[in-house]
Amino acid sequence: MSYLEYTVRQTPTGARKLLYFNWPLIVLIVAVGCVGFLMLYSVAGGSWTPWAIAQMQRFALGMTLMFIVALTPIWFWRNTAGVAYLASLILLVVVEIIGDVGGGSQRWIDLGFMRLQPSEMAKITVVMLLAAYYDWLPPEKVSRPFWIIVPLVFILLPVLLVLRQPDLGTSLLIIMGGGIMLWFAGVHWAYFAGVIATGCATIYAVFATRGTPRQILSDYQMDRIDTFLDPSADPLGDGYHITQSKIALGSGGWTGRGYMQGTQSQLNFLPEKHTDFIFTTLAEEFGFVGAISLLALYGLIIAFCVVSAMRMRDRFASLVTLGIAATFFLYFAVNMGMVMGLLPVVGVPLPLVSYGGSAMLVLLVAFGVVQSAHIHRAR
Amino acid sequence: MIRTPLRPLARILKARDRGENPQAIERENLRLRHENMRDQARLRAESRLFVLGVFFLGAFLAVGGRMGVLANSDPLEPRSSVIGADILSTRADIVDRRGRILAKNLDTHSLYAQPHTMIDPEGAAQKLAQIFPDLDADALLEDFTGKRKFLWIKKKLSPEQKQAVHDIGEPGLLFGPREMRLYPNGAIAAHVLGGASFGREGVSSAEVIGVAGVEKHFDDYLRDPANGHKPLQLSLDLTVQAAAEEVLHGGMKIMNAKGASSVLMDIHTGEIISVVSLPDFDPNNRPRPLTAADKDKDQSDSPLFNRAIQGVYELGSTFKIFTAAQAVDLRLVNPSTVIETKGPMKVGGRTIGEFQNKNYGPLSVEDIIVKSSNRGTGRLALQIGVKRQKEFLDSLGFFQPTPIEMVEASGGRPLLPARWTDLSAVTISYGHGLSSSPMHLAAGYASLLNGGTRVEPTLLKQDGPQNGPRIVSPQTSQAAVKMLRKVVTDGTASFGEVPGYQVGGKTGTADKPKPRGGYYEDKVIATFATVFPASDPKYVLIVTLDEPEIIGLGKKRRTAGWTAVPVTSQMISRIAPLMGLRPVVEPATLTGVTLTSQ
Repeated sequence: MSYLEYTVRQTPTGARKLLYFNWPLIVLIVAVGCVGFLMLYSVAGGSWTPWAIAQMQRFALGMTLMFIVALTPIWFWRNTAGVAYLASLILLVVVEIIGDVGGGSQRWIDLGFMRLQPSEMAKITVVMLLAAYYDWLPPEKVSRPFWIIVPLVFILLPVLLVLRQPDLGTSLLIIMGGGIMLWFAGVHWAYFAGVIATGCATIYAVFATRGTPRQILSDYQMDRIDTFLDPSADPLGDGYHITQSKIALGSGGWTGRGYMQGTQSQLNFLPEKHTDFIFTTLAEEFGFVGAISLLALYGLIIAFCVVSAMRMRDRFASLVTLGIAATFFLYFAVNMGMVMGLLPVVGVPLPLVSYGGSAMLVLLVAFGVVQSAHIHRAR
Repeated sequence: MIRTPLRPLARILKARDRGENPQAIERENLRLRHENMRDQARLRAESRLFVLGVFFLGAFLAVGGRMGVLANSDPLEPRSSVIGADILSTRADIVDRRGRILAKNLDTHSLYAQPHTMIDPEGAAQKLAQIFPDLDADALLEDFTGKRKFLWIKKKLSPEQKQAVHDIGEPGLLFGPREMRLYPNGAIAAHVLGGASFGREGVSSAEVIGVAGVEKHFDDYLRDPANGHKPLQLSLDLTVQAAAEEVLHGGMKIMNAKGASSVLMDIHTGEIISVVSLPDFDPNNRPRPLTAADKDKDQSDSPLFNRAIQGVYELGSTFKIFTAAQAVDLRLVNPSTVIETKGPMKVGGRTIGEFQNKNYGPLSVEDIIVKSSNRGTGRLALQIGVKRQKEFLDSLGFFQPTPIEMVEASGGRPLLPARWTDLSAVTISYGHGLSSSPMHLAAGYASLLNGGTRVEPTLLKQDGPQNGPRIVSPQTSQAAVKMLRKVVTDGTASFGEVPGYQVGGKTGTADKPKPRGGYYEDKVIATFATVFPASDPKYVLIVTLDEPEIIGLGKKRRTAGWTAVPVTSQMISRIAPLMGLRPVVEPATLTGVTLTSQ
């Protein structure tokens, strides 16, 4: 069911492609980006340096990349999905060897102008490769065991490399993103039920082996789990983030303290206030209304992606669009859940808002793929 | 799926016969099949999308709902830590009657360690041992390298020590804010204040709890944040207390006594202006109480023991005034009625003797008090009778512990005779056979001499007189004051005169009882109970010395007249001006005195 079969239908070419962009999606992305600039300006105490300016530059770079990717035909991206996947695997191996150590883990490659985090890339390339794989695989084979093992290997290779950094959050996100791809592709539901049952058993095993020589997770990971289960047990240690961000969210109330008036963030109670925990600043300064508005923006981005995907006839295009939307969803759902104490603290940024180059660039490129799929669908 | 063969030869041939294009049929077949497949895939994909959509929606609702809950939660003020917030409340200060600080809180720091965050445990242990000589570097290193994640090192740090520890620069050594109780006046009023120590302890604060004295009695009040940290105002006067302690301490040394106490009480309001018990202690560094291991020592010799409130003694002849006053009040006698005090006098098989076996002959009631005749008061007591004597002493508060606001007060329960016989009545009339604390005596004197209404001692500042139930008539009260005044001018307490302050009082010298019965011959409790100024009584002062002994006029002297009385007069001359009492010139003593000679 390739694009070649739809030659009777038209895809836009040349400058006409600009007319067929999913413009509302671009507006939404820019809006979320602007929220990020505002918040970074605020947490710097009303200063464009050091974060807001750098973030805007990267956002501009990312938008340029997004347009380039969007104007490139979607079949090019399907054909190069494997290459992109291999490239991210190689980068993960490279980071293992020469990567910078930051915050206790080895996650970055210094490119000079920015520090690249290959694990962020892997989140998207896994989705792309799986979309290409299921585009290639005849639908009747989807649920056969052998043809399930192949995508599982695709998922687990980067996951193992990311786990070695160690970065539990990102590896779980890759697994969940890949799992959602399998779900969309139509893998029989019994497999998912089996995996969930196994997962529960694993969780039990993790706690059962605790303190024994066969302990599965490292101590810091166990501590984080403990902290998640009871943040008040160690409010000055691992629970500090969560306790402080809960205080910030509570003090924001319904309408917030006002822009640049957030005590928690302005007074430096919160570490990582410009990266993973930037949502607390937003919630404190703009309150429930501001937080729900951001959530609504995110929801609209997902909705536009899903609507776009449902109108596509090409399997790769629709799968990759849905997969990227799901990855995006996982980003902000996990981040917000973590900040609000619903989930354990894992290092996941708030997409397009948190300060940080890799995640934003990768997401904007991914939205470029989504746009490409939207533009080049047969009409 | 049922497949339509792509090129069924028969169909192609037939189509050719009809002149149709078989390629078109093939394309049409392919298209139909693709559409069929696509529709099925779409149907499945859409149901899958729906399931995931429900999941997404659930996540959105969870995040949104949680946001709402948090937005609706109480806006906590930002705090750098939340541990121990419930024990942060500050203990209220304690001040004297003029608002001067007796006890307050001092901000200090405790030192604790989190060994797992330490960079250089060895260096830290050694430097800590240098700063705190009482710490052992090896033991510290063992703690720092062990499994513990948290340990206390010091409960209180001086600012210099804190800076020194800070300069080590070890991130695993941390300070926790602390409030400690400080008694800026040292040992002054130590027994009243008692002391405080730490209760529950957290990293960022610790509970301060009272362990004795008013600190313990008013512990709930002092700790209750609802009181707005309003200081607890006592009736004590810091300057008077300090002067009284100084005089009593000097007196105790000169009189070779092993202990001493004094109680100064306002006879109208019941306020205790000063109460001293020696030896004393520093509440900032409270001594260890006696334990079972010290059972060979006497509990009442511990500096923690409050002689004025916990100590019960036979207070001797100071009791005689009660007997005389009651007899006058019952109109059995008047102060000038003559009573025969000649011996021998036998009651219940016991001979009642006088001090040094004197024989005074017939004496007026007033002279019985002035000369302190045992037989005279004994005869008055027999006239009063057991029942009325008991009622009278009960109404003065001698049957119950004093209601003073200290946890130790309940320990000062008076010792009463098991069977109150005529002999008991006679001995109690001159102060033997009934043990009570100096505080009891002060309250009894105050009630008798303030015009005759019951007054109870209190450590809290009062706004006005107590106006308790009447005990004796004002005339009786006045007569009692007059008798006491005469004891000082003409009687056993001639050393007690303080010019201008019209001291009246009664001495009492009681032999100390032996632990196993009987009395020591050479150990006494010397008491002087005074009231001043006699023309308008305001204060009662009780001074007791435990086992005093001096050489006076070539002989060993132990009686109150030689020991407690001079100490008391010295004390009054010091404290009366401090309390704002102006010296009065008595009209009677004006004779022969010219204004220029003064």
